[in-house]
Amino acid sequence: MIVNKETRDLLLEIQKTKRLFLEGNILKVIEAEEGDVEFSDYLKESTEKDKSARRRRLEVTKQVQEQNADLLNWQRENQHLTDNLKDALTNAESAKSDALSAKEEAERLKEEAVRLKDEAEQSKEEAEKAKDSALNDLDVLQKRSQTELISTIVKVALLVILSVGVITTIMYSIAMWTGKDTQIIGSTWSNMFGILLTNAFSIVGTIMGVKYASEGKENK
Amino acid sequence: MIDSILLVDDESLFHLVFEDACSLLDISLSLEGLNSSDEAAKLFEGWQKEPAGKPECVFVDLNIIGSSYDGIELIRKVNTEYGNGTVIGIISSSNDEEEQEKAKVAGAQFWIIKSDDIEPRLEDFKKDFEGYKTKKLPFKVYK
Repeated sequence: MIVNKETRDLLLEIQKTKRLFLEGNILKVIEAEEGDVEFSDYLKESTEKDKSARRRRLEVTKQVQEQNADLLNWQRENQHLTDNLKDALTNAESAKSDALSAKEEAERLKEEAVRLKDEAEQSKEEAEKAKDSALNDLDVLQKRSQTELISTIVKVALLVILSVGVITTIMYSIAMWTGKDTQIIGSTWSNMFGILLTNAFSIVGTIMGVKYASEGKENK
Repeated sequence: MIDSILLVDDESLFHLVFEDACSLLDISLSLEGLNSSDEAAKLFEGWQKEPAGKPECVFVDLNIIGSSYDGIELIRKVNTEYGNGTVIGIISSSNDEEEQEKAKVAGAQFWIIKSDDIEPRLEDFKKDFEGYKTKKLPFKVYK
């Protein structure tokens, strides 16, 4: 594309007075007229300046792009670290929460264990009481058996004594009735009767004593 | 030289790199940059009715952050919903073969790997452009 003379002169004037050149892709479409060395040189210089500026800008842009890529990588890395940190924090909080739950559970179990221990001690006391009570009952039972045995012995003894007394009395009565000598049997009967009375009272006293003692224990 | 190029990429810095590289390599006369695939789709919808200003070639980033769909979906839309006729492809730092296959199926004609030293790839692309324009060249990955 060839520009008209006015435009050509204006462009050259601007270049001379202001040191300004055409820039950009427009230079690729503008051509100088054949033989117009001045404008051809102008276009050549403009193109070189434009290319030089673009080359510099391209280098700078590439450097910035590279730095930007590094920054983006760092940003990504930072984000990754932040995410990791957040995860770790979340895990720590979760672990703390678990630990607190475990502690609460342990305390609950401890309280449960204390309660069970108290119950066990209470049960032990009750068992000891039951054991004492059983031993007491056994003791009473043994004593009752002993008393009953004594009572039986006493009854048998009384029976024997009374039988002996009755027999001796009968023999003494027969001897008196038949008129036989009663001196020996008489003294024997009186001795026997005295002994029988003494023993009978002794036995009755013993029985009453034992009975009183047994009743006192039962009441307790 | 390509008359007009449309670049769809969410990375603003890459717009500057791409523009300067294209200018230095005399690849295109004009270049327009967009940050989202939604904006690009809207433009293509408009160009269906009025094709004036429609770019000759479109470079689309694979992942366009903040857009409703990615580069491959935009290519599929451009090719199926808004009519083709434009040389279109992906420009991405990814070299995922699976994604490249998907792009090819969606109608992408090329895949340029974005890196610090993009100029050699753009030069190769410039040489191949006529082949893409005439649909004679198959899908190609510029590594």
